[in-house]
Amino acid sequence: MSTPRITSSRGRVRIRMELGFLLGPATLLFAGFVLAPIGIAIYYSLYSWGGYGPLTDFVGLKNYTDALSGSVFKQAVEHNVLLVALSLLIQLPLAVWIAMLLNRRMRGRALIRVVVFAPYLLSEATAAIIWALMLSKGSFVDQALKAVGLSGQIHGWLADPDIVFYTLFVVITWKYIGFGIILMLAGLQAVPAELREAAAIDGASPWQIMRSVVLPLLGPTIRIWIFLSVIGSLQLFDLVWIMTLGGPAHASTTMVTYMIDHGYKSNEYGYGSAVSVIVFALCFAFALLYQRFVLRRDLDGALTNAVR
Amino acid sequence: MVIIQTTARARRVGDRPKRRRRLGRTSPAAYLAAILVAGLTALPLLFVIIDGFRSTPDINSKPVGWPSPWRLGNYSGILGDQQFWRFLGNSAQIAVVSTALAVGFGAMAAFALSRYRFAGREALYGFFVLGLLLPPAVAALPLRLWMSRLHMLDNIYGLGVAEAAFALPVTIVILRPFMAAVPVELEDAAVIDGAGRLGFFWRILLPLSTPALATVGVLAFVTSWNSYLLPLLVFDQPEHFTLPLGVATFQSQYSQDTAKVMAFTALSIAPAVLFLIFAERRIVDGLTGAVKG
Amino acid sequence: MRIRTTRYLGLTAAVATVLTAAACGSGSGGGSKPAAADSTAPATITWWHNGTADPVLSLWQQTADAYHTAHPNVTIKPDPIQNEQFQTKVPLALQGNNPPTLYQQWGGGGEKSQLSSGKVLDLTSAVSSWIGDIGQAATRWQVDGKQYGIPYEQHVVGFWYRKDLFAKAGITTPPTTMDDLNADVAKLKAAGIAPIAIGSKDRWPDAFWWEYFAVRECSVDTLKSQISALKLTDPCFKKAGDDLGTFMATKPFQDSFLGTPAQQGAGSSAGLLANGQAAMELQGDWEGGVMKSLSTDSQLSTKTGWFPFPTVPGGQGDPKAVLGGGDGFSCTKGAPPACADFLKYIDSPEVQTKIASQGVGLPVNPAAASALTDPTLQAVFQYDQQASYVQTYFDIAMPTNVGQALDSAVADFFAGKGSPQSILDSVSSTAGGSNK
Repeated sequence: MSTPRITSSRGRVRIRMELGFLLGPATLLFAGFVLAPIGIAIYYSLYSWGGYGPLTDFVGLKNYTDALSGSVFKQAVEHNVLLVALSLLIQLPLAVWIAMLLNRRMRGRALIRVVVFAPYLLSEATAAIIWALMLSKGSFVDQALKAVGLSGQIHGWLADPDIVFYTLFVVITWKYIGFGIILMLAGLQAVPAELREAAAIDGASPWQIMRSVVLPLLGPTIRIWIFLSVIGSLQLFDLVWIMTLGGPAHASTTMVTYMIDHGYKSNEYGYGSAVSVIVFALCFAFALLYQRFVLRRDLDGALTNAVR
Repeated sequence: MVIIQTTARARRVGDRPKRRRRLGRTSPAAYLAAILVAGLTALPLLFVIIDGFRSTPDINSKPVGWPSPWRLGNYSGILGDQQFWRFLGNSAQIAVVSTALAVGFGAMAAFALSRYRFAGREALYGFFVLGLLLPPAVAALPLRLWMSRLHMLDNIYGLGVAEAAFALPVTIVILRPFMAAVPVELEDAAVIDGAGRLGFFWRILLPLSTPALATVGVLAFVTSWNSYLLPLLVFDQPEHFTLPLGVATFQSQYSQDTAKVMAFTALSIAPAVLFLIFAERRIVDGLTGAVKG
Repeated sequence: MRIRTTRYLGLTAAVATVLTAAACGSGSGGGSKPAAADSTAPATITWWHNGTADPVLSLWQQTADAYHTAHPNVTIKPDPIQNEQFQTKVPLALQGNNPPTLYQQWGGGGEKSQLSSGKVLDLTSAVSSWIGDIGQAATRWQVDGKQYGIPYEQHVVGFWYRKDLFAKAGITTPPTTMDDLNADVAKLKAAGIAPIAIGSKDRWPDAFWWEYFAVRECSVDTLKSQISALKLTDPCFKKAGDDLGTFMATKPFQDSFLGTPAQQGAGSSAGLLANGQAAMELQGDWEGGVMKSLSTDSQLSTKTGWFPFPTVPGGQGDPKAVLGGGDGFSCTKGAPPACADFLKYIDSPEVQTKIASQGVGLPVNPAAASALTDPTLQAVFQYDQQASYVQTYFDIAMPTNVGQALDSAVADFFAGKGSPQSILDSVSSTAGGSNK
């Protein structure tokens, strides 16, 4: 990493001016539109405030204790955690597998890649509307199951509290897996074909090649994906809100839909702010722990590399 | 904070000349699997596009089926409706403003954060990373109150500015390691040539960073284009609505006319798909660049 | 905030044509109606309403234009806003410095909370000369005897049913008691027809059921005093939950009702009724308009009918009490006198007649009742006029947070979670300041 050589006090002033010029706009923009709302949310979270008039009813941490001890919020947290687990167990292997598949040379590969990536580029609102139409009773999904002789497997996809969450998981996977695949495809560029060939010549089975050669080299990419996926899972909102409103009976409530529903929709702005601060704090805690325990290895490598 | 290390590390491998040899012929099973994956992914999109060619009574009486006959009316009706074009235009303007600001300011900040050494640098970087952890849904209501004070409601450029702020963290997190990895010698040479540090940034570093800039540009653009909650809260006037808001509004306004909703939804997919077809190589390369340098 | 009020807006092209014709009629002769109040000073009124689709959209535009023609100094700018967005936008607007002059107001507990912003205009003296014309409906927009909002249409909840499906199941007259209703549900099931459609995804249709059982179980005095005190301690409220539980045990609703939206698309509960896939639905008077928009059957209105919520054996409630609500508007402080005068115009027979004749809703001004063309709506209106008491939907009558908690608890009960007692607990604990 380069360090501008400081030769004189004039040079130092100049560096300060450059830094001000380079960092000023981004810092202002960020502080003004991202940090200010966090600050405002923290402030509101200490009040019981229905959205009208001045904030007068100071309640201290009551909003926080209410949220953390409430059974619906607990359910919401459980759903978010379940989503994280399902993502790691299902989306991750699926993304790696599809990326390996699409990394091969084949006719029409570019087209297939475009198709697989397309849902990621759709807006959540559009995706949710498409799926809500397909999943409604007697619509596409039900008919397709009937056509292949699985009419016994037809369920109230968005109506059955035992199923709705898994239905949403399928939609979430459809929507976001393209990003994982592209990321993995990029990561696979770092796995030289020679390595795999050499392993194959040495008599390694495909599974062994996968485990001993490909996965370790994909490690950094996978770790990034996990980070982004966990943060995304903790913040899930639009798709769920448009498709189920968190229902039925909170069976698909997430932390952020809970915040909108029990905070803003009920005109409990102080409470909603407290929930949003909790979501933020959870993401922050995860990021710190992840950095500390999972990414440390990468960090060492990075330092040595950067110094060269 | 996360992406740096990986990037720098992967970059070393990526510096090698790429030489990919065939591992043997791709088996029919692999073809089949790939086609199956693509088919399953495309199915919902095709469903919507095809239903857009049907009529509502037809859809109501038979939820799944081919159009017979194929009707163009739904599509041509919407394409002739200036509301659709207004939504599209608004989305495009907001996305352009947001992308330009995020990439411009983000690149400047990433340059300072990667190639200057000053007290509080890591703290400042950490401060930007915080933004990654804040979903717009969480910030949306306080943000609306705040923007109302700044008289930025119902102003598409105001929304563009706010969205740029939310796109900054990811931009800086991706650009910083990329810029840090550019060899010191290049900078020294530039300084010796009298270009100065800002000259180096402008004339050498930015052109070298094109792949990463393309990546963050695409990410910022897509995020802005798809954003739903922020425009919902910031815009009162339908004339400012963006495409995602338009889809939701259209869906509840015309919910009796399923076929028309399908057509509108299909047309709202079109920009994303067109964008992807033209930019696919760029995106994959860009992400490759971002992840592995 | 009311999803329920948006969707009766979509009507067919035929109605739109009639509407245009009516507009021309009113344009030439109209405009003379509103009395020239203090309209010498130029004024602009920004008007947030939820009529984002015809016929309401055009009706409000014409109403604004007609008023402007009669009062050239007053310009009214209608600003149609999605119904669901009022929930977030009104609080924020009343918090800011530039609230709209005139905005959609549902009265009840929500209106009461809005007063704490200090931005809602007291209309009591401005409307005192004519508010008597619209009768009881106006009281829902009063807080402590002062008028902070003015209704323009009223709503009544009851059963919409398919005459053809009833006939097919061998039902000759609509049920009048719970026993009748249970028997009819059994007959419809035997005939292979889904008896009752409900849009449980949206939660508020669930609440209608529990609330109507409460209206039948509880005396009018109990309803009045305990709802305004937010203490539902009378045993009759618990009985309402028991009744609902017993009724639900007969499985009267369509398959997958928990995921069914109320008004969106052919798969919604209104769509099921409109397309003959269910025999009845407990819904507001707007159901007819919603169904029309979800069906291509031009004979639909002859196939549907209406009957009130049946009597409940042993209930303390007045069998002639109804559950309902309405839509109205409030002015904000700083509004010109023309704001109240414009509300007077909206409630005048001229505009009220259009509300009735164009199928927008039930008028609040009885002078316009004869303009209701649909026989079903006439029956609904008659029933409402003869009602001994109109109970506002609980979630509107109560403060927003309590009302939402109640809706949510009833929806849980529909999904098999909670109990008759947990519904009551949701009210007391939320009113007591808990957010859980």
